[in-house]
Amino acid sequence: MAPAALILQHLKNAGITLVASLPDRWLGELIERLDADPEITHVRLAREDDGVGVCAGAYLGGRKAALVCQNAGVLLAANALAGLAHHHQIPFLVLAAMRGAFDDGFYYQMYKGRVTIPVLQGLGLPHWVVEGPEHFPLIEQGARQAFFSRLPVVLLLRRRALVAEPGTPP
Amino acid sequence: MNRTACARLIHDRLGPDDLVVAGLGATGNAWQAVGPRNLTYYASDPMGIWPAVALGLALARPERRVMLLEGDGDLTMNLQSLVTIASAAPSNLRIVVFYDATYASIGRHRLPGADRLSLATIARGAGLPWVGEARTVEEAGAQFDVLLARPGPGLLAAHLEDDPSPDTPPGPWSQVEERALFMRRLAGEL
Repeated sequence: MAPAALILQHLKNAGITLVASLPDRWLGELIERLDADPEITHVRLAREDDGVGVCAGAYLGGRKAALVCQNAGVLLAANALAGLAHHHQIPFLVLAAMRGAFDDGFYYQMYKGRVTIPVLQGLGLPHWVVEGPEHFPLIEQGARQAFFSRLPVVLLLRRRALVAEPGTPP
Repeated sequence: MNRTACARLIHDRLGPDDLVVAGLGATGNAWQAVGPRNLTYYASDPMGIWPAVALGLALARPERRVMLLEGDGDLTMNLQSLVTIASAAPSNLRIVVFYDATYASIGRHRLPGADRLSLATIARGAGLPWVGEARTVEEAGAQFDVLLARPGPGLLAAHLEDDPSPDTPPGPWSQVEERALFMRRLAGEL
């Protein structure tokens, strides 16, 4: 099964029924599957920090939500993650494509790989790296940690966890 | 029309099951001042994110009408949230923008472009199915009725006169405590 199909199943297993997303090249198939799935309310974002707001509002209304974006979106959303999710203790799961590491092929992505984890450490948010499909149980486990902690938990997904085809450009 | 009169018009028209997300500072203070009966989530920082919170709440609870009371500075900070709301198009979401073209809560500094800005035009361009404007209490009363009668998402820009906003001290409960109370009330536990 393609990684995106597995991720979707793990999200459902975690009880997540609402997903807000903003695309990245590595996230294309996952976002298409989220949008097509009748069990998922999918919100197309224009900016990632709005996804923090959407997930927070969903939690206030009693639904579990996830934000799917690139790690640059996590950097952009830092103030929302701190001021809304952290300060109000609102949990949700963040699935972020971990651009800019050893598995990336663009100069302009590299800064993201260097600064994402230090920023998450600074925000005090739990985060785990998903190397590949063998780590997908972290989706349920991370969601459980988020909802027990009343905090967002961030999963940083390597290219191999999101893109199946070995010949695809990075 | 001053801010409190605008809040009172909304208060008088909402039903008991309607949920309210009340914006930061002057907007939330005006709502508090009219003694709201509705279950209300009060904004804190970060500024600009509350349209998205109201959207998430509306999507999570489609059986409840959600009213966002939104400051003009807050909306101007995150205009693209209107695009996302128009795209998701929850029919149970309504927005009233308290428009006086100032950052009212922090010294009434002018918004950028205040003399030319039209948030109603931007909302129409974002694709919201209904957008109205009101400049007097009479106009606002009539427009609120249309806003509530039409399927959402809809937005009413309520133009306010220059209106001082008292700097109210924080209440006794933290946002975490208020959040838990809101959720338990919404779940019918309290």
